[in-house]
This record gives sequence, C-alpha cells and structure tokens, in this order.
Amino acid sequence: MIHEETAKLLTWLIPLPPVLAFALILLFTNRNKWLSHTLAIGAALLSWLTSMLVTVFFAFRIEHFGDHPIEDSINWLPLGDSWFRVGVLIDPLSALVLFFVAWTVLAIFVYSVGYHNYGQPEGDHDHKGLPPHGATVEEHGHKHVVPSVEPMYARFFAFIGLFAFGMFTLVVSDNLLTLFVGWEIMGLCSYLLIGFWYAKPSARDAAVKAFMTTRVGDVFMLLGIAYLYSVTSTLSFRTIFTESVLHTLATVPSGFLGFSAAGLIGLLLFIGTVGKSAQFPLHVWLPDAMEGPTPVSAMIHAATMVSAGVYAVIRMFPLISLDEKTMTIVAFIGAFTAIFAATIAVAQNDIKRVLAYSTISQLGFMIAALGIHAYIAAVFHLITHAFFKALLFLGSGSVIHGMEHGVLHTGNHNVDPQDMFNMGGLKNKMPITFWTFLIGGFALSGFPLVTAGFWSKDEIFADAFGNGHWTVFITLAVAAFLTAFYTMRQITLTFLGEPRTKEAEHAQETPWTMTLPLVILSIFAIGYGWVGIPEHFPVLGGLVPNWLHEFVGGTLVEHPEVVEFSWTPLLTSFVVALGGLALGYFMYRDVNLPAEDKLQIGFLKNKYYFDEIYDTIFVKPAFWFAEKFVYQFLDKGVIDGILHLFGPATNEIGAGIRNYFDLPIINRFIGDGSADATYWFGGKLRAIQTGRIQQYLMLTLIIFIAIGIVLYFFKLA
Amino acid sequence: MDFISTHLLSLILFIPLFAGVIMLLLPADENKLYRWFALGASLIPLILSLMAWFQFESNKPGFQLEETYAWYSAIGSSLHLGVDGLSLTMVLLTTLLIPLAILASFNITEKVKAYMMLFLFLETGMLGVFLSLDLLVFFVFWEVGLVPMYFLINQWGSANRNYASLKFLIYTMGGSLGLLLAIQLLGVLFKTYDLQTIIANWSTYSDPIAGIPANTVKTIAFWAFVIAFAIKVPVWPFHTWLPDAHTEAPTAGSMILAGVLLKLGAYGFLRLVLPLYPVEARIFAGALAFLATAAIVFGAFASYAQTDFKRLVAYSSVNHMGFVMLGIAAAGLASGTNDATIALNGAVLQMFNHGLSAAGMFFLVGVIYDRTHTRNLEEYGGLFPLVPVYGGILIFTSMASLGLPGLNGFISEFLVVRGSWPILTAYTAISMLGLLFTGAYILKGIKKVLHGSLNQHWAHGEHKLTEINTREILVMAPLMALILWIGIYPAWILDVINKAVGMLF
Amino acid sequence: MVPLSWYLIFSAALFSIGLFGVLSRRNAVAILLGIELMLNSVNVNLAAFWRYGDVMDIAGQVFAIIVFAVAAAEVSVGLALVISVYRRRNTVIADDLNMLKW
Repeated sequence: MIHEETAKLLTWLIPLPPVLAFALILLFTNRNKWLSHTLAIGAALLSWLTSMLVTVFFAFRIEHFGDHPIEDSINWLPLGDSWFRVGVLIDPLSALVLFFVAWTVLAIFVYSVGYHNYGQPEGDHDHKGLPPHGATVEEHGHKHVVPSVEPMYARFFAFIGLFAFGMFTLVVSDNLLTLFVGWEIMGLCSYLLIGFWYAKPSARDAAVKAFMTTRVGDVFMLLGIAYLYSVTSTLSFRTIFTESVLHTLATVPSGFLGFSAAGLIGLLLFIGTVGKSAQFPLHVWLPDAMEGPTPVSAMIHAATMVSAGVYAVIRMFPLISLDEKTMTIVAFIGAFTAIFAATIAVAQNDIKRVLAYSTISQLGFMIAALGIHAYIAAVFHLITHAFFKALLFLGSGSVIHGMEHGVLHTGNHNVDPQDMFNMGGLKNKMPITFWTFLIGGFALSGFPLVTAGFWSKDEIFADAFGNGHWTVFITLAVAAFLTAFYTMRQITLTFLGEPRTKEAEHAQETPWTMTLPLVILSIFAIGYGWVGIPEHFPVLGGLVPNWLHEFVGGTLVEHPEVVEFSWTPLLTSFVVALGGLALGYFMYRDVNLPAEDKLQIGFLKNKYYFDEIYDTIFVKPAFWFAEKFVYQFLDKGVIDGILHLFGPATNEIGAGIRNYFDLPIINRFIGDGSADATYWFGGKLRAIQTGRIQQYLMLTLIIFIAIGIVLYFFKLA
Repeated sequence: MDFISTHLLSLILFIPLFAGVIMLLLPADENKLYRWFALGASLIPLILSLMAWFQFESNKPGFQLEETYAWYSAIGSSLHLGVDGLSLTMVLLTTLLIPLAILASFNITEKVKAYMMLFLFLETGMLGVFLSLDLLVFFVFWEVGLVPMYFLINQWGSANRNYASLKFLIYTMGGSLGLLLAIQLLGVLFKTYDLQTIIANWSTYSDPIAGIPANTVKTIAFWAFVIAFAIKVPVWPFHTWLPDAHTEAPTAGSMILAGVLLKLGAYGFLRLVLPLYPVEARIFAGALAFLATAAIVFGAFASYAQTDFKRLVAYSSVNHMGFVMLGIAAAGLASGTNDATIALNGAVLQMFNHGLSAAGMFFLVGVIYDRTHTRNLEEYGGLFPLVPVYGGILIFTSMASLGLPGLNGFISEFLVVRGSWPILTAYTAISMLGLLFTGAYILKGIKKVLHGSLNQHWAHGEHKLTEINTREILVMAPLMALILWIGIYPAWILDVINKAVGMLF
Repeated sequence: MVPLSWYLIFSAALFSIGLFGVLSRRNAVAILLGIELMLNSVNVNLAAFWRYGDVMDIAGQVFAIIVFAVAAAEVSVGLALVISVYRRRNTVIADDLNMLKW
C-alpha cells in the first residue's frame, strides 16, 4: 500500500502522460509509426500504472474510503473576491471508474497497433483520409493482396491519447467544471476520431452529427452548471454534497414548472448525459459513429465517452435525487431507451451496429437504475458493461479484420466485411475471437452466475422489483430478453454454422496485439461480477463479502440500503437471459439470407425513421432559418434594406434641396431675380434722363418742395 | 531609461505615428525595407506595453502610468493618458496583433509603403482610444482610426471593396455624430473633458439643462453614446457593415478589424457608458440584453448559412461579441453584485480571447485564399491531406472559436453564462441556441475545407496547394500559444481583469 | 419806414418770376436772365434784412456784394457757354440741348 501523499501526487499525474503523448506525436514523431505508438502505449501504460497504484494499492484497501477520499485543489480562476478552485478527487466511485477506464484504455491502445496493421506494407493506392485498401506483395513469384498499414497511423494514436486525457481528467476531477472540460475534450476527440477517415463523406457527416447532437446536450449542461454555480457559489463535489448546500438546493424554487433548483439543475445536467450517452431522443449519433475505426467505437461507446455521461449522472446523484420529478424523467428515459434501442438492434445486419444499439440500450439500463434510486446497481452495471462492451467491440473489430483478410484474398470489394450475413462459421477460423466474443456476448445477455453482466443486471432487477417500480422492472425485463436474443442472433450469424461467403472462408485469426486485449477483457467480463454478490443470494451469497456495495456505498453520505432478496427478479433474470439466448440460437441457426430473417421489419431496420424525422424537423428548418430568414431576409433584406434607404434617401434629399430650393429660389429668384429687377427698374428710371436741363431743374424743385412738406409735417424741420 | 518609464504610454501611443511619418522619407520601391521597418516599428510598442504590463500593480485602484499634456486648454481638453486593468489588456491585445498583422501582410506587393504607413497610423488611432482619459481626445482618436481602415479596405480589398469601405466609414461615422454632440454637451457643462471629473459629477447631476429636465437629457445622451458604440461592437441590428467590411478587407485588415476595432465599441461601453449612466444602463439593460441575445443567435445562424468562408468567420464575430454585450448588459442591470463582476470578467476576457481567435481565423482564411484565390466553401473539398499542418492549425483555432474547454474561449463564455444566468435568465437560456449553432458553423467550415473527398483541382498542376509556410506559422504561433495558455491557466490575465472590474463597478 | 414784409414779398415775387423764367423760357439766354433775376431778388432780400436788422452788422451788405460778384462771373461764363453751344449747334433753345439724354 502506498502513502496518501504519494497517492495525491499520482492522482494529479494520471491524466498527463496521454496528453503529452498527443502533443509529442503531433509535433514531432508524426512520421515515425513505431515512435508514435510507443509513446502512446507508454503513456497509456503510465496512466494505467498510476491508476492501479492509486486504486488497487491505496483506495481499495482503505476502510470507509468514502469518508476520507483523496482530495487536493488549487486556485484557478480569480472571480470577485475569491478564487474558483479546481482539483482532484478520488472517492470510491471515481476509484472504481478509474480502474476500468485504465484497463480498457490500455487494452484499446494495444489493440490499435494490430488493428491498424502495424508492420504491414503501405497500400497500393492508399490515401490519407481513407481507410487502407491493401497492398500487393510478391511472395515466391506469387502475388497476393495483404492488409496495408493505416496511412494516418501516428495521428490515430495522438487522437486517442487526447481522448484518454479527456476521460482521465473527467474521472479525477473534483468539480463540475473540469468534468465538463474533460467532457468536451472527449466530444472533440470523438468528432476527430469518428471522422478519422475524413475523406469518406459518410464519416465526415457522422462526425458532425455526433458533435452537434452531443452539443445539444452540452449547452443544457452548461446552463445547469452555471445555474448550480450561481446558487451555491461552488462547483466542487465535496462542497455541494453537504447537508446544508443540498438542503438549499432542494428548497429554492427554480421558477420553472414547479421544479426546485435541484430538480432543474439535475434535469439540465441530465440532458447533457442524454446527449453524451446517446439516450432517447439524442441517440441518433451513436450508430452513425460506427464510421470510425473500431478501436474508436470501443473507446467511445464502451469504455469512455458514453460511460462518462452515466458517470456524470451517478456523480450528481445526491443532487438529482432531491427532486422526484427529475428522477421520474430520468427513469422513464432510461427504461424507454433500453427497450427502444433493443427493438432496433434485432433488425440490424452490421455487426457493429448491433453493438451500437446494444450500448444505447444498456446505458438505458443504467440510467433507469439511477432513476429508481438504485445507485449501487447503476455503478455496478456501468463497470461491467464497460468491460464486456469494450470486449465485444474489439472482438467485432477482430472479426471485421478477419473478414477483410478474406476480402483482400478474393479481391471482391463489393462484399461488406461488416455484414453478418456475409459471415458464418468463423468459430473455426478465428477461435480466440470466438471464445472471447462468446464470453462478452453472454455477459451482455446476463448469462447466469458466471458472467459479470448477470450480477449487475440482476442487481438492477432486484432493486426495481424490491422497491415496487413495476413499469421499470417489466420494461427492463423485456429489454433484457431482447438483449439476449439479438446477442445470440449476432453470435449465431457470425460464428456458428458454415461460412456463407468465400470471404468468410478465407478469414484469419488476428495478431496477438489484437487478441491479447480480448483475452484480458474477457477475464474481467467473467470475474468482475463476483465482487458484488448480494449477501442474501441463495447459496453463493455471503461466501464472498459484497465488497462493491460497501465500497461504492461509501461515496454517498448515507449508505444505500441493501434490498431484500426476492426470488422473482432472480428468476426473471434467469428466464430472460437463457430464454433469449435460446430463442436467438434456434431462430437463426438455419438462416442464411436476410430474406429469411423474419425480423427485417422496415421501421426497425430504419431505426423508426428518427434520422429522417430529425432531418425534417430540425436540420432542414435550421438551415432554412439560417439561410433564408436570418441571412437573406433579416440581414440583407430588412437591415441592409433599411440602410440602403439611407443612401438614396440622402441623395433624394440633396437633389430635392438643389432642385426645389437652391435652383429656383436662391439661384433664380434671388440671384437672377435681383439682377432682372435692377435691370427693369433701371430701364424704367432712365426715362427721366431726357438731357433737358429745365426738366432737371423742375424735378429738383418739386422734390425739394416735397421734402420740405414731409419735414414740416413730421416736425423735423 | 527614466524617460521611457515616465513617458511609457505616450511612447506606446506615438511611436507608430512617428514611424509612419518616417516611412514617408524612405526611398521609393524598397518593399522589403518597408515591411521590415514597419514590423520593427510595431514591435517597439509591444515591448513597451509588456513593460507596462509588468509595471502595472493590479491591486491599486484608479489609473496608473498617467501622463497629462496641455492641448486645448481654452475648452478644458488635455492629452490625458492612463491605464487601468481594462485598458491595459486591450493595449496589450492591440500591440500584439499589429505586428502579427504586418507580418501577415508580407505578401502584399502593391503600394506596400502606403499600406504599412496606414497600419501604423491605425495602430496609433486604436491605442489612443484605449489610453485616453479625456473625452475629446477619445473622440479624436476614435475617428482617426476610421480613416486608415477605410483606405486599407478601399485600396487593397476584394471585389466589392468600394461598397464595403464606404458603408463601414459612413455608418460608423454617422453613429459617432450623437457621440460627438453628447461629448460636447458634457464638455460645455463641466468646462472640462477630463473623464474622471465628468464621471464623478455627471451621475449626480440633476439641474435642468437649457430648460430640459436632467433625466431626459441624460437619457438622450445615453442613447447617443450607446448608438455610437453599438454600431462599432457591433450590436444587432447595427451589424450589417461588419460582414461586408470584414469580407472585403485584406487579410491583415480583417485581423485588425475583428481583433481590435470591434473591441473599441465594447471598451466604450465599459469605460464610458456604464460609469457615466448607471441609472439609464439599469433601465435599458433589458433592451441591450435582447439585442445581445439577438446578436448571438442570429449571428450564429447567419454564419451557418454562408458559403463564403470569410463571411462565415465575419458573422462569427457578431456571434462572439454578442457574448460580450450580454455580459455588459448583465453588469448594467445588477451593478455591484458578484454575478455582475463575474459576467464582466467574462466579457472583458472574451474581448481579449475573441481578438486572438478571430485574428487567427481570418488569417487562416487568408492563407487558403492566397493559394486558391477563392473563398467559396463549395470550391474547396478534402484539402486535409494536401495541407495537414494548415489543417491542424485550422482545427485548433476553430476549436478556440467554438469555445472548447481547455482553450481560451470556454473560460470567457462560461464566465459570461455563469454571470448572466442569475441576472438575465431567459436571455442566457436563449443564447444557448446561438452556442449550439456556433458548433454548427465551425464544423461546417472545417467540413467544407478539410474533409470529404479530395477536390482534384487543387491536387495537381498549377493549382496545387502548397502547405502553410514558416512566416505564416510564425503569425499563428503566438496566437495559438496564448489561446492554449489562457485556456489552461487564465489567472495571469484574469486576475488583472478581475481586480480592475471589481474596482470599476 | 415801410414794414419789412413788403420787401420780402417783393423779393419773393421777384424770385418766383425769375424761377418761372428759368423753368419755362426756351431761349438759353432768357434762362440766364431768369437766373439773374433770382440772384437780384436775393440781393434785395439780403439788403432788407440788413437794413431792418442790426445796421452795424455789415454781414448782409457784404453778402450782397459777393452775390453781385458771383452773379457777374456766373453770367459771363454762362453766356460764353451759350455762344460756344450756338457755334456748334446753331441753336440756343434749351430743349434742343439734350445730348445727355439716355
């Protein structure tokens, strides 16, 4: 066990290696593949090591860790009279999350080496921005095509390094603001990585879709953070989750539909999670995100990003749980998403898409669990899901890799290596992948007792049932059934039976850099469940203490109560898991073509047309609004229109003044007029000038007399 | 040395002017000489302002490094210079951006001497606004800054430059008419144009003026001030000069327009409007907030609709300055509260941040325009493999513009949102729509330029795109470094701003 | 002594006759005669006022002598002018001397 001070220092250091790797790769080692992946994996290893030291060698060994977690902070933003502090916090929750994040990140980094075909020759006509297409090599005078190395190899490692940084930052942070920082950095990375093959229009568009959809959630979350900060003057978890602050939040009304401040803040923060964890209605980005390379899918959709969303809600649980209205919304959205996504998954043919919808569905489970105050169950499922979903994604990547090998062999590029109906019989071609995938799939389905997924799912059922949340219980049970069903469908179509295409026949097992992570993850997928066996479980309960419950429960001020054991949820778990698996196997054992698949229903395959609906309701109107209304009409039409009146108006006024005043009055009337008047007057007056002196004298006399009279009468003379 | 430290501000202010005049005497047709001379001359104010920064004590209230010179004592106007945290930040921004803009203009080949001279005169004009503590001098420099920019756009701009430059000049000048009249009113009333004196006396002034009650006069004067600054910021709906001016200006001209000139308006609000008219500011803050939100939302939408890359970035300036105005409106409404302080911190920091990221974005647009001679987004396509370094820099700067946490934009936007939320809840909530679409237009820019299938037109032959060169990277490097630095550790600048804001309001 | 007014009336009458002559006679020489008459009436006026005022003050007499001189000078000049005009125009009728007409 290490010292507390050491643990504190190490916690600060955890996020650093990956971001350093990011910077170094981008700036310096971009051209060198070996250096780049060594830097990246070295960084992941360092972070893994420090995480293990902090969690396994410290946090997990402390009694009542929740009462004195690792915490440390520094001044960051000067605001008014005080400073906003940021720092690190490792409490039981973040310790557990850190644990699985470290393992999955490391596994994915190692996997990426093999996935991007390190060591293979460069492709014949590979372009940066497009997936590699294979290289022709000559061996013993015989030419064949082999997989080629990814042209943007180093860049990939740089980006997943940044991604890991974002996630680690999020997990170790002690306040909502740096959590949000990590959150958004991951959003950026998911954009960069989903659009990794940016020259593909579909990838490019998927990246934008992911970013924008999660951004919708993010802006609400930002508002929630701002609101929380303004009410409590702090964003630090330890300070918020104290009795007095929580009480303030619960009692202050928000002024919005009767929610208390806590309720509204919780709702706003939850909307951020709805975006990030792809819950209904912001789920549309996640399936498209399959455009990215498979390690990215594993990273984003299993290990890190979507888990971050759930983590955020779990972290804010003491706040959100203050308002029942918000909790109801949370539970509803979670449960609805769980079953909604499961129904879509049964109709998908792309191996990754099934997993994508499965992720959405499983996240719904966790969120629903939180909504019904099943804190521990949610955390449990979050962790187990990370492991087995990462395993499944990496496994699917392995399958696709194997299929691509076959495609390159036959040279037929019209065959989609990701379509399950092109697979079959891969059990014999790719045994390690098969067994690990099977373990992962069983874990996902909740295969009783020997898989981690069973224990976590059962816990959710137990909580739902035990606290009387019937709707949630039944919804989740149905969703679980469907989960097992489509998982077995997937396994049957992919691995069992006979190869359906030539490409599947020529599939090959993948190199150790890809299969080793699978094996490691499958160990966790099996064993992790055993740390959380409920005490009252028949036979097995009590053999091993429910360490998880104790440990995680310490995060909250009040330990959650242990739910009474009941046979109903347990039997339900058994039935839905085994039943779903069995049904899936028997239904798909003999199916070879999509036409034979009874569940290829239109609106399921097309995801209930949500993409089209959103396009019509949001995307197109937004663009119309932007282009036609704001720009053309308002800016150019109205505002510039008004401005453009000024110029001609001034012109008109000027012309008016000139033509109606200047010219006629000043020029003509006054100027020319006075000249004309003088002329006329002069003309008339010259009649006096007769040249005859007597008349002059006469005139003089008359005027003289006249003046005299005037003067006399005005008494002036 | 002593001379320098006692005359720091006037040196900062007038060295560019003198350098510009000296340029008149340089021999003809020596383009290299002009460029390097101008660059060197513009670096001196930068060094001096850094000296000022380090000399500045953020804890002392009031203005520092003050200098007063008699100018027009018959009417009470003197050349009174001084800085506080607010203006020092802006001075730093200006003196930083001008050398970068000059460096960015090294590829101008026509009438280089006139171009460089105009930039130097422009620098003096802008610095004068930030440094002056005398209302009349403020106005003089305000107007002075317009003329070089007019010529820069008119002579070195793009196709529609006549319209754009004239619109810019007349619009801004027209708005300043009211400002001039109001300033004259104050000067006549108080027999001096000294800012501190006027601020101390005007807010409590209540005698009727020429028979009109003081409140009415104050309201009219308030609006006169507001209109002038609102056109400059720009506040919606007075913003339509901006897309035209920014788009048609040469690259470096746009950098300075967006980077500094817009801040003159916001600075005017902070330095003049809020202190002089606290009562009216509170009454009309709602209207200002409405306009600010309109700027945020409509700016984002209009930007999203563009097909001209430069115009897209121009509208993004409207969008970002909207946040500044939102913070100012919040501060006007709830002056003195902690929330207002936070909002103002955000607003001022946003001014600095936007200066950096907007200058960067416009420069990057210029880089691609220099090579392709088009700004039409539809004509690009998949350029990332051809220009990876440029692409990386573009993504970085775009993310700063978008407000990605970890970079500078986030800090200021978060502070504005946090500060305005308790004061102007509804408006803040609506402005989130603008924030959402900020993401949309930024991604649109990146998508059209860098992503997608490679447009073969630019890949071969005479149109083959060349990568960003060292000079251009040198222009972007300080901006990127500052963006990252402020994003990670903003305390060095935020502390100065925070204390200044706290003391002002 | 006769009252002063008789002399004044006499002088005024003489003046009027002279004035009438100036204004109505055709012949330029007759006009000059009229002028002479006016001047002489003025002299009568001046003498009368002298005699009926302060006898010791000889201003009136002096004035009258000056008027004589002026009249003489003026009539000689005037006659000279008339002769000169006659030699050019062959006429002495005032109405015909209208070269200064517009």
